[in-house]
Amino acid sequence: MRYFAGIDIGSTAIKIAIVDESKKLAGHKISASGSMFYKYAKQALKEMLDELNIDEKDLLYTVATGYGRKLFKEADENISEITANAMGAIAAAEGKCNIKTIINIGGQDSKAISLDDEGNVVNFAMNDRCAAGTGKFLDVVAMNLEIEVDELGEYHFKSQGTPLAINSTCAVFAESEIIGLLGNDHSIEDIVAGVHYSIAKRIIKLVKRVGINEGIYFDGGPALNNGLVHAIENELGKKIFIPEFPQITTSYGAAILALESYEYENKV
Amino acid sequence: MTEHKIETSRERQNRHKAMEAASVLEKIKHNFKEPPRAMSYFYDLYERVNCKHESLHVDKAKVGTMCIQVPSEIIYALDAVPLRLCNGFYTDDEIGSDLLPSKSCPLVKATVGQFASNNFSDKPDVIISPTTCDQKAKSGAIIEGMGFSVYDMEFPRTKESHESREYWRRSVRKFTKDLSIDLNKKLTKKSLKESIKKVGYAQHLYHKLNILRKNTASPILGKDMFLVTNAFFFDKIDNWIDAMENLVQECEQRVETQVNAASKMSPRIVYTGSPPIFPNLKIPLLIEQSDAIIVADETCSSNRMFNDMISVDEWFVNDMIDSIADRYLKGCTCPIFTKNSDRKRRIIDLVRDYKADGVIYQAFAGCQVYEMEQRSVLEAMQKAQIPILYLESDYSPSQSGQLTTRIEAFVESLKNRKRRG
Repeated sequence: MRYFAGIDIGSTAIKIAIVDESKKLAGHKISASGSMFYKYAKQALKEMLDELNIDEKDLLYTVATGYGRKLFKEADENISEITANAMGAIAAAEGKCNIKTIINIGGQDSKAISLDDEGNVVNFAMNDRCAAGTGKFLDVVAMNLEIEVDELGEYHFKSQGTPLAINSTCAVFAESEIIGLLGNDHSIEDIVAGVHYSIAKRIIKLVKRVGINEGIYFDGGPALNNGLVHAIENELGKKIFIPEFPQITTSYGAAILALESYEYENKV
Repeated sequence: MTEHKIETSRERQNRHKAMEAASVLEKIKHNFKEPPRAMSYFYDLYERVNCKHESLHVDKAKVGTMCIQVPSEIIYALDAVPLRLCNGFYTDDEIGSDLLPSKSCPLVKATVGQFASNNFSDKPDVIISPTTCDQKAKSGAIIEGMGFSVYDMEFPRTKESHESREYWRRSVRKFTKDLSIDLNKKLTKKSLKESIKKVGYAQHLYHKLNILRKNTASPILGKDMFLVTNAFFFDKIDNWIDAMENLVQECEQRVETQVNAASKMSPRIVYTGSPPIFPNLKIPLLIEQSDAIIVADETCSSNRMFNDMISVDEWFVNDMIDSIADRYLKGCTCPIFTKNSDRKRRIIDLVRDYKADGVIYQAFAGCQVYEMEQRSVLEAMQKAQIPILYLESDYSPSQSGQLTTRIEAFVESLKNRKRRG
């Protein structure tokens, strides 16, 4: 069997996806980026091959993507996370949803990508300046509220009152806002819902810049938070498609590209 | 993952408005010294209407007014409730932005936006558009085009001449007659007299409270006063009067016991310009968060609504209607008038009477008449040696950083003057 790897080195996590020659996902792995991207990425890839019982020789082509892609020198090729994200999204939703718009919220950035009928990237927008309203922000919020990040969704749906808007989606300023709200006896549920809606509104502004066309795909770690998903759906007034493994869309796209590049280079 | 229903666009708007209202109420309630206890009626009222979208006037005919110049006494006398539709929500401003030129006034955009979304907790049965400023006059037609019943009440652009007075009196008489037919209610001498007395009593309470603000230790902050006066736009008048009686009483006690809503060093501000309407209390909040206190205002969402009382010579229907018309024309200091020296006089009087240290003049970007009158007001204040700060702002929640710096610098300069005596 021949295998192809996509490795997405993000600010928060390293995501690896391995596909076989039929583009089927053979396995995936998510590990923390930590302080030494390169070392951890190499280590993670090796561990993964061991887990899947794949001989290194059978891994024919590797494509690196993400913020730290240039650091991974073993890669045969590297591509931007925009292209990889688009390829991964189309493949992950194949047969279920015809994707036209992608929303990606990562550890420290967020993106909106619009695709044409052939799946080519037509336009994209990224958040500027800071990590406001990204995964890191949710981490800080959960920490302030003394709950776990994966509990945020549960709290969101228990909100009874008016969601309390967080005016600053800057993690640093939001911290004091949240502490203030807690001090005024507001419920954690209403604060969580408010945080989700504040992020959702912000992300919708970004998506509007590229155009909102149905077939909307949402990926990145925060897509695991169904409260945030609900908030974005409400703000859009539309259903969005969440893949089975929201965190690995980009690495999956890179793996598919690895396969395609390999086939192209070895075409007789 | 369980399926969750997606909000309808109405639900979404309501949530947006609730969130806007809640975050402003949060600041009003918690970012300042302890407010009078009687304010809790008003805090609850705003929460009920804006966060829970409760209807207050289910059993009454509702007459929407697009400007302060529609006499509420006549509407009350016809057994209906006046609801002032001047809108302070950014949510609606955004909706209206798609329908009006980008440089329009946010208040007008928000008002049109609310009609476009047709989302009211108390939906007006008929809308009265006094053709005061251009943008409101044209919006009346736009709203009519959306299928609402809009009545144009013609208003003159000057107030000095005999002709304008006569013109407006005729306009008010015609309005009274037409509304009476429309609502199928008869205006009686008794009902009109009663409503004049009732609105007059509300004004009296407002005056009483305002006089207390003249004390060096003012018992109430401007942000709370704006809530109180804004509530007159939509609350049941009897409830408003009850709550106001409590508030006046409590503020009297506060004055006796020298409770100061601000601090000793807080500069005293007269606020003027485009009307602050809940939840757009951005500038008043920034002023008072910068440790100043608004002790008086000259705006149509507050002082101008209550300041002048109706003086009736003879209690006959026609005389009463003419007296009402006169009060609404003569008392008006809106910059839509060609000349408007009354407004400058009133601001200077307020500064003197309320021992204010300075004036803050805020115009909405796009509120042309206030923007245009800015220069002459600034000159008049300079002449009278009154410090004044001019600000332009809109409804967007995001631009407060720069405004804060300007307001803080102005407040600090007033403090320095105070210190040096």
